[in-house]
Amino acid sequence: MAIYSFWIFDKHCNCIFNREWTLVANSSSGTINSKQNEETAKLLYGMIFSLRSIALKLSKDSTGNDIRSISTGKYRIHTYCTASGLWFVLTTDFKQQSYSQVLQYIYSHIYVKYITHNLLSAFDLAEDESETRGQGTKKIANRNFITALESFLTPMVAQ
Amino acid sequence: MAIKSILIINKSGGLVYRRNLSNDESLNSNDYLIVASTLHGAFAIASQLTPKALQLSESPLTSKIDYTIPYIPYVGLPRTGANTTEKSRFSSSSSNNLGTTNSLGSFKGSDYFKEPFQSWNKSGIRQICTDQFTMFIYQTMTGLKFVAISTQTPSSVTNSEYSTISVQIADNLLRKIYCLYSDYVMKDPFYSMEMPIKSECFDCRLKQMVSNLP
Repeated sequence: MAIYSFWIFDKHCNCIFNREWTLVANSSSGTINSKQNEETAKLLYGMIFSLRSIALKLSKDSTGNDIRSISTGKYRIHTYCTASGLWFVLTTDFKQQSYSQVLQYIYSHIYVKYITHNLLSAFDLAEDESETRGQGTKKIANRNFITALESFLTPMVAQ
Repeated sequence: MAIKSILIINKSGGLVYRRNLSNDESLNSNDYLIVASTLHGAFAIASQLTPKALQLSESPLTSKIDYTIPYIPYVGLPRTGANTTEKSRFSSSSSNNLGTTNSLGSFKGSDYFKEPFQSWNKSGIRQICTDQFTMFIYQTMTGLKFVAISTQTPSSVTNSEYSTISVQIADNLLRKIYCLYSDYVMKDPFYSMEMPIKSECFDCRLKQMVSNLP
């Protein structure tokens, strides 16, 4: 199994999409946008946020210094942050060093195509003031987005 | 692998030692204290975030991960270290000269250790790659963390094996720094536990070790 889970966070610190694969043998197993993952999403967001702030602090100049990957003893986290404040996060095993192209592809060919270029899907999932401070629970439920993402990521799940 | 700085974090998340080995001093000591405690917190969170796939199939998948760190010969020792120490040990004239640069404190032989070792850091953060630097963390069984910040970035290295090898080299180096710590800090009667390290001997040994890196 090469990838364990995939997350998208928006600029309001909300988790707007999560997908977790749970069984090694079955690449269609697992959860999409599960309520149970809410706590994990917050922990993940908090950890990446604090490590990003460290990286920024320790950077040589003001050009910005972003986290590429965080390796632990058991798994590796890859991040890709856009200027609009979206974070694409992928947890994987150690077989591959860089997933930045994969994350870039998900953003530019799947997210932009099915969410940004879609008039019917909300431009910003936080609709009122109460949801802009990390309290929102709205998720991306676009069928085309989920199908495209699944078909792109499935070959990598049981690598 | 040029090391930019070395930090030591005690088991409660406080910074006990910091050494900048490059010239640019951009942060003050207060900032480094914040960095250390943030790292300590993130380290604890990382172990909580183990993916469900790994938790569910605990035996087959996790047993595949090998926590043995191979011994990499003479990391942080002078290139000719092996020959000169052997010589000085056998020649009677310099055997009682403790000030030689090649003696390893209370460790015998030409290197601190020569066997592969187990990593105690099984679920915490081991490596953080950013655009400008890579950070390596080595944790001891007692909860002490040794952090090395290297100036190398993953994008500047074309070798695909870079990641695993650099972690192994860093673990070897940081374990040797732990050997120095056990020698020059733990055996200091004026050192109080969990307090900042102010040992000149340790400082100079550490500097020497890092400057021996290519």
